Amino acid sequence: MTDAILDYIPIAVMLVFALIIPFVIMFIVKQITPRNPARFKNTTYEGGKDPIGEAQVRFNVSYYLLAIVFVLFDVEVLFLYPWAVCYKNSVVMEAIPGFQLAAVGAMTIFLIIALVIGDAYAWKKGAFTWTR
Amino acid sequence: MLEEQMDILLGILYAILGNDYWWGPWIRGVLGLCAMGGMMVAAMFAVWLERKYASDIQSRIGPNRVGGRFGLLQLIADAIKLFTKEDIKPDKVDGPVWVAAPVLMFGSALMMIIAIPFGAFIFNGTVYPLAVTQFDISILYLEAVSAIGIIGIFMAGWGSNNKFAVIAAFRNIARMIGYEVALGLTIISVVIVTGSLNIVDIVNAQSTVVWFAFVMPLGFVVFGVALIADMGRVPFDQNEAEEELIAGWGTEYSGMRFGLAYFAEYIHMVLGSCIAVLIFLGGWNIPGFIVDLNIPLLGLLPVAVFLAKWVLVMMFVIMIRWALPRIRIDQITSIGWKVLLPLAMVNLVWSVMLGLVWPW
Repeated sequence: MTDAILDYIPIAVMLVFALIIPFVIMFIVKQITPRNPARFKNTTYEGGKDPIGEAQVRFNVSYYLLAIVFVLFDVEVLFLYPWAVCYKNSVVMEAIPGFQLAAVGAMTIFLIIALVIGDAYAWKKGAFTWTR
Repeated sequence: MLEEQMDILLGILYAILGNDYWWGPWIRGVLGLCAMGGMMVAAMFAVWLERKYASDIQSRIGPNRVGGRFGLLQLIADAIKLFTKEDIKPDKVDGPVWVAAPVLMFGSALMMIIAIPFGAFIFNGTVYPLAVTQFDISILYLEAVSAIGIIGIFMAGWGSNNKFAVIAAFRNIARMIGYEVALGLTIISVVIVTGSLNIVDIVNAQSTVVWFAFVMPLGFVVFGVALIADMGRVPFDQNEAEEELIAGWGTEYSGMRFGLAYFAEYIHMVLGSCIAVLIFLGGWNIPGFIVDLNIPLLGLLPVAVFLAKWVLVMMFVIMIRWALPRIRIDQITSIGWKVLLPLAMVNLVWSVMLGLVWPW
């Protein structure tokens, strides 16, 4: 195994712990806590009255617009990560002359098209404005 | 004799921190449990600090009965209470989703712990970061894992089948996604300047020159606001606005299930302060002073510096809670998208220019 993989072993170990520990805690809690189920104790809280209808309803379209815009922008930010690590990497810069200029130029064009124009468009369309 | 012992100690430390032996990474993984325990204590300390500091700001006394004058054992008493409360599962909840939500929140908070270096041990000019593991993409990993916690909150709200909880869940998602982009852009600015996604590299880059908070003040402000929003602290705590939404997404939770989710929130706050210290406030570095001492105890000075900065950041976050009123949800989204995002873009341009001339 290479070193890079070895560094991720602690994450795998912790993933097992992180998934087990909450269940272990809940198991212990189940053993030591009293259980007195009652009809009114188990109702959904709604200001003391009997709950009316279900809560899992259709929701405001503003949330949906925000979510779509978020997916767009977050994917763009994701593209920046590999770029940020390599755009001034000395090995690549020596191998390809003019790499840095090309990298900065390409990312500028991408950001202007995707981030600036995208943000301006969503802004103008009123995606960030709450329900009128 | 002493040098021999130090050599043995350093040999063991090196074997555990390095990958020369096959068991090194596994031992580090198990050491993660110690970090986990330490984080529990730190989160409890954060709760205690919040209560004490809040009472101080409001001219109250605060907890002072359990555990001496300063109420140091109050949190232990609270934990025992949560542990022994009845585990009520309301009839109408969406079973699996409702049960999984605190597990997901708590688990993701625990997963964040291992990538964070809690200070460093400096010996003979070599920096040994006190992290459970350090790998090339730790910043990206932290962002990714903390985002799972957001899904946990949404699952809690939606699975509760309670109107207040559902409203809180939607507000929470709207807030989180508004600030996640600005947060990501400011973190990427730091990555652009240093050219590395490894937190230890980012901290080491701040040892030779000044902290990134001074290099990119705009980025630091945007990051701070977005981080406080991301942690769900007060000016942005629409997801659990007590006056309108009972307890927000936690309305249907009680006993230890509530305890787990609540604890996860506090771990998020503690770790968020850690990240702010690490990537913007120089981590364990002191400006203009490079700790390179061969005396082992003084070599631990960076840990003390890190802890001091960490507590100061947490106190600032707590102070904001009692200084600012809560912002409405429409204001929150418009601040996030119309103010912070353009500012983060400006900072991005600045960081690219800075990155071309870095290091000076």
